[in-house]
Amino acid sequence: MKYKSQKIAYWFFATCMLLLSLQIVYGFVMGFARMGFDVLHDWVPFNAARATHTNLLVVWLLTGFMGAAHYIIPDESDREIYSEKLAYIQLISLILVGVVSIIGFHLNFWEGRKFLEIPRPLDYLVVVNVLLFLFNIGMTVWKAKRYTTTSLVLYFGLFSAALLYLPGMIQFNSQTVDSYFRWWVVHLWVEGVWELIMGGILSFLLIKLTGVDREVIEKWLYVIVGLTFLSGILGTGHHYYYIGVPEYWKWVGGFFSMLEPLAFLAMAMFAISMYRKSGRNHPNTIALFWTIGSAVMSFVGAGFLGFAHTLPQVNLYTHGTLITAMHGHLAFWGAYAMIVFAILTYAMPLLTGRKLWNNPTGLFAFWASNIGMLGMTGAFAVAGIAQVYLERKLGLDFLTVQKEIQVHFLGLVLAAFVFTSGIVAFIINFVRFGAPTDEALGAEQASGDISLARRS
Amino acid sequence: MLTKFQAKLFFLVGTFLFSAVFLLLTYDSLKYVYSSSSSKTLSEEVIRGKELWEKNNCMGCHTILGEGAYYAPELTKVYERRGPEWIRVFLKDPQAMYPGERKMVKYDFSESQISDIIAFLKWNGELDLKGFPPKPEYKSSTQLVNAESAAVVQPEKFKQICTACHSVGGAGGNVGPALDSVGKKYDIAYLQNWLRDPQKIKPGTAMPKLPLSDNEIKDLSSYLSQLK
Repeated sequence: MKYKSQKIAYWFFATCMLLLSLQIVYGFVMGFARMGFDVLHDWVPFNAARATHTNLLVVWLLTGFMGAAHYIIPDESDREIYSEKLAYIQLISLILVGVVSIIGFHLNFWEGRKFLEIPRPLDYLVVVNVLLFLFNIGMTVWKAKRYTTTSLVLYFGLFSAALLYLPGMIQFNSQTVDSYFRWWVVHLWVEGVWELIMGGILSFLLIKLTGVDREVIEKWLYVIVGLTFLSGILGTGHHYYYIGVPEYWKWVGGFFSMLEPLAFLAMAMFAISMYRKSGRNHPNTIALFWTIGSAVMSFVGAGFLGFAHTLPQVNLYTHGTLITAMHGHLAFWGAYAMIVFAILTYAMPLLTGRKLWNNPTGLFAFWASNIGMLGMTGAFAVAGIAQVYLERKLGLDFLTVQKEIQVHFLGLVLAAFVFTSGIVAFIINFVRFGAPTDEALGAEQASGDISLARRS
Repeated sequence: MLTKFQAKLFFLVGTFLFSAVFLLLTYDSLKYVYSSSSSKTLSEEVIRGKELWEKNNCMGCHTILGEGAYYAPELTKVYERRGPEWIRVFLKDPQAMYPGERKMVKYDFSESQISDIIAFLKWNGELDLKGFPPKPEYKSSTQLVNAESAAVVQPEKFKQICTACHSVGGAGGNVGPALDSVGKKYDIAYLQNWLRDPQKIKPGTAMPKLPLSDNEIKDLSSYLSQLK
């Protein structure tokens, strides 16, 4: 690291790992419930497990993004963070909100709108919290010695994510309108501004890991985020086919959804071609694995599998079935979880000064978690297709169909064990690095960070 | 190829243009929603029902308008599928309705709360959803007995509750067996005992113990016993 305040990132990353572990626990609770072992029903009914599982995902990813910002922004701005104290206050308040929400979910205290379950009173705290974060990072960018596209895109992404949280806090009486604006948050987050954040982190990592000229990488960053918004904004329409709004959303949503994979394809091609351009290899290969992997898997999960069920003709049958769960798992994993893992893997040696890259545990973490996640996606896919045929085509009763597809959840849970073994390996590595130290200042030079060597 | 400036322009113009189109379409969609017939039927009851729906995070298991989780049935057309009486009986004790099956949390809803929820489900079922959820395509219907020729007419209770799971003359649900020739197998006395407490006669059966009065049991058994 170049600046002392980058150490803050470590505490965000540590929180991130903790929340991820908890998310996996709840995933297993649901997996077993679907297999028929619903033993925790009285304490953790399915809706509590589900709300906890998805909200933890959102919170740990946001924590990861915040950690990434605390690492990247000082580096890009060439200065210390505006206020270290504010950063720690913000992290602690974030954890508090998270803990209260999760406990609340188990006590029937929630808002009950998919992905936005955090109860209304706590929403205001979230807003204050995010404003604190944006102020701190914003002041750092504002007072920077230099403005880079990477830091601007990252900041703009974080800022819009905060702005788009607001439509989710308005109360509507009609389920149709409620649903309409709920997607303003959910869709425009994951298929819009989060991709800016992902693009920002990706381009920072590519600059560092491949040593390709900043100008080249940042130019393509603009093209990719441009494509994302061009397709993603009107692509929101693919959630509006069957909620009671005008018919034209089928055309608008269908057409722009078809373009959505393009942004992801561009991202994957961009990452691979930058890697091939680099000529020299960065010693931290595993960080490169996660970086390129994220670009590729986000194309498969978000781009390809998303496309597989967003056309209105297909969506009529797959809407509201396990097909959505299939797409959701690989999309979030590829696009957002992997990019957080990438920045973590890249930053940890530099924060702690320990050259613990390229060990077997790290390599195992990469392969096991990816293979496990692909297995889970496959299990969801088979179960989902069977569900669509039996329930929507043949008209069998819901519970009858669920019994028919129960066996696929054994596959899901087995794949989840493989996945979890990978995550455990990753966390073991994380713990091995230990806490960040000031002695690691300037560790980039020792790590053979190509771009830095070239810049000086 | 593109310069960095051109790339930036592409990003800014694209984002601005498509955001503007999106806002315009949003305005038009809201106008459509608020002028449609569904906005006139959006009563206090429906709104209270929606609040209960959210307060208990029903979306954490069910889907409505295809949105939510996939652990429990899609409820958009549940009013049409099951009818208000069935939903009322079900919500009072969900687990009794599906013994030994996937469980739903038993909420302590009051009668009026249940009415609110039913109103909410009915309202959603009446929305114009452009063909969602799709009607099953290959559902077979067999006509075994002409139910209309039966001497005793179908009791109201039968239409409200039983047809959700059982069919007669090809009409009804397919969860339980078709009842077209149930009279051949069982006499009135057996059917009465069965309806009083199915679990006692056949432990582990999927047939729930329904909250039926003695008169209703009598009517139902005499109706069923003549289906031969």
